[in-house]
Amino acid sequence: MWSRKSALLGSLAVSMYLMGLTLRNSQLVTVAVVIFVFLTYAALFSGHADVASSGRRMDEWIGEEGVALSNVSAMRKLSAARVFEDGEVEVTLRMQNHSALPKILEVRDRVPEVMRIKQGANYILMELGPRRETFIEYTVECPLRGFYSLGPVAIRIQDTFGMFHKEKELHVYDDFLVFPKMEDLKDAFVKSKVPKIFTGAVNIRQPGPGSEFYSLREYFDGDSFRSINWNAYARSGKLMVNERERDAVSDIILIVDSRAVAETGPVSRNALVYSTRAAASLARYFLSRRDSVGLIVYGDEVVSVDRDTGKKQLYVILTKLAGAMARGNTPLQVVVNRILPHINKGSPIIVMSNLEEDPTIVNALRDFRARDFDVTVLSPSSLEFEFDARRLDRTGFEVMKTERDILISELRGMGVNIMDWEPDMLLSTALAGARGF
Amino acid sequence: MAAAPPPQAARPRTDTSHLYDGKVVRSSAPSRKKAAGSMKVGSEVPDDAIPDVHIPSFIEALLGGPVVPRHKFLPADRMVQTLQLGAYAMLIALGVITWIVTPPQGTLWFWIFGSVGGATLLQSLVILSATGTGFWGTMSRDPRWLLASYFLFILAAMRFASSKVALSNDWFDLQQNPWLETVLIVLYAVLLVMYFELTNGVIRFSMLDTSIRTNEVYVMNVKRIISKYHRSLMINPAIAGVLAAAVLSINTLIPAVVGWFSSETAIRMEESVELISVYGVAIGSLFVFLLVGLMFAVNLPLRLQKWRENRNE
Repeated sequence: MWSRKSALLGSLAVSMYLMGLTLRNSQLVTVAVVIFVFLTYAALFSGHADVASSGRRMDEWIGEEGVALSNVSAMRKLSAARVFEDGEVEVTLRMQNHSALPKILEVRDRVPEVMRIKQGANYILMELGPRRETFIEYTVECPLRGFYSLGPVAIRIQDTFGMFHKEKELHVYDDFLVFPKMEDLKDAFVKSKVPKIFTGAVNIRQPGPGSEFYSLREYFDGDSFRSINWNAYARSGKLMVNERERDAVSDIILIVDSRAVAETGPVSRNALVYSTRAAASLARYFLSRRDSVGLIVYGDEVVSVDRDTGKKQLYVILTKLAGAMARGNTPLQVVVNRILPHINKGSPIIVMSNLEEDPTIVNALRDFRARDFDVTVLSPSSLEFEFDARRLDRTGFEVMKTERDILISELRGMGVNIMDWEPDMLLSTALAGARGF
Repeated sequence: MAAAPPPQAARPRTDTSHLYDGKVVRSSAPSRKKAAGSMKVGSEVPDDAIPDVHIPSFIEALLGGPVVPRHKFLPADRMVQTLQLGAYAMLIALGVITWIVTPPQGTLWFWIFGSVGGATLLQSLVILSATGTGFWGTMSRDPRWLLASYFLFILAAMRFASSKVALSNDWFDLQQNPWLETVLIVLYAVLLVMYFELTNGVIRFSMLDTSIRTNEVYVMNVKRIISKYHRSLMINPAIAGVLAAAVLSINTLIPAVVGWFSSETAIRMEESVELISVYGVAIGSLFVFLLVGLMFAVNLPLRLQKWRENRNE
């Protein structure tokens, strides 16, 4: 391929040649000849013989990239296929030259734009000896969740004067997943009101067989003697028994709003980023307590992960959260209508949404409350993100904030545990705030 | 040795990275809040909300990018300094030789002024300006000055020469020795092209050096890469010089070949006006490039390349 330099020199040579003939100036013609020789030499002897070829192809022609690059291959190894946000992946690229000629190669391993090269470089200029290989190592930092691919590897060879170059893409790809970052939670303040068959670690607000104290009551026939509180009997003179909170596995439903509006704000600070991180943290917390957790992500469509327990479920949820894209404008009411028949009455539901541009929010949450679901809403404030990014003036911000406060008050009045989640607030603080602690 | 793995086909994108492409720290979905931010009377659109768009000029659009790179370089390293020194030396030599081989007769200035004095002054000024801008461009590593310098040097060479090589100052009595005159012309041509290349090298290696020092690119075996460049700087002009000399000596070479068959014809050819004029040079270059064209026509370079790639296999 001709570079801009060679194209300019070529044009200059042609014009000087013609001008030389017109002006009968042999100096101009000589300069033109020297430039032509420069160009021809670069094309002939710098691994670009095929560049200026006549257009004829040899029978054994290998490919468009030409002979010089056909003997170069690449392999890649990643240190991890799954990392969390802000995690690092070490990449080792192995370049091999199978030919008998040394080559000066430019190698660029394509890294997604959002990644940051923390150590080393993905763009290398090197002299690779005959039948030699070399390892290129670099580390990328992954600041945002998603599915990513490294590759292809672009290689370029050019003559020493940079006149001609040949490029080839080696289609070597490696995929990896970046999960949303998680926050350690000590308590989620969310308790189910409905027992399930199998006992587990989460307390439900009902007396029953369990380990944590719930209340004292009078002794009835049939009560176990082991549950008699003798201190209370001594104080009151009546037989009193300890009641305990029922331990049970709860169904927890996490609903993440991934509509287009959820991406309002900077790329790294918006409602969707906060929501996915919160959902990941909550999923890990509840699953570690043997709860069964289900996930619904709605944007242009409703994607759901059925309730289940265990580490595998966490992986499934994290994968879905990693791939959540801000698209579409499905109303929450659609989600509610779809999931209501399938979730157990009284299950805690945690909604993560910025509550923007959805006129059905109030009705949808009212439907949940009417069926006695324990609803918690964590609402990352897009207004704050926009205001922080200086895209919203003070007056606009105040007006919008008032609108938002009114909506939040209305929802709170319906018995929804809601928190206006400001950007710098920890998830645990937001949760505690939502639950009135 | 293991054979190279078979090429894989390009595959469609399935990842989500494109969602963030082009978004550095700001991006938002269409939102009424954004409108609320700009609707206030007297409020200005925030600077960071206006994308930085560069509309290419007509020339840039033709060339597919800016004519000169707009990089800011870090202070020159040793390699670049060496190239700069080489460029200065080349510039001085080129300035002097240009002044010698481009007498004011036949220039545009001569046609305008009609006098040798004025034309000499202007021609000298053009050459001096070419040298000065070249110096400044090389020192400041600014391609715009270098482009101006190239233009002025070419402008200085643009003269009607009536197929004769004339010298403004024949201090060494070169016109009595046509062979030395040819050498001078070839030297001029090679110096001019080498000046183009060296100054271009200053810019190219400054860019590379800056990229290396800002960790944008990593270079392995720097010394071998640089030594290869240095070697090319020696070999390439030598070959170009030899070929250019062959082209210019066509009025000697062709009669010499013809002389094997007929000495009388050879003598007539030596004295032929066509062969000693610029058209002789054109014929010479035609021969050279016919040869090169023939090489390409039989795909010799490609076969040579394949043989070199796969030898000892």
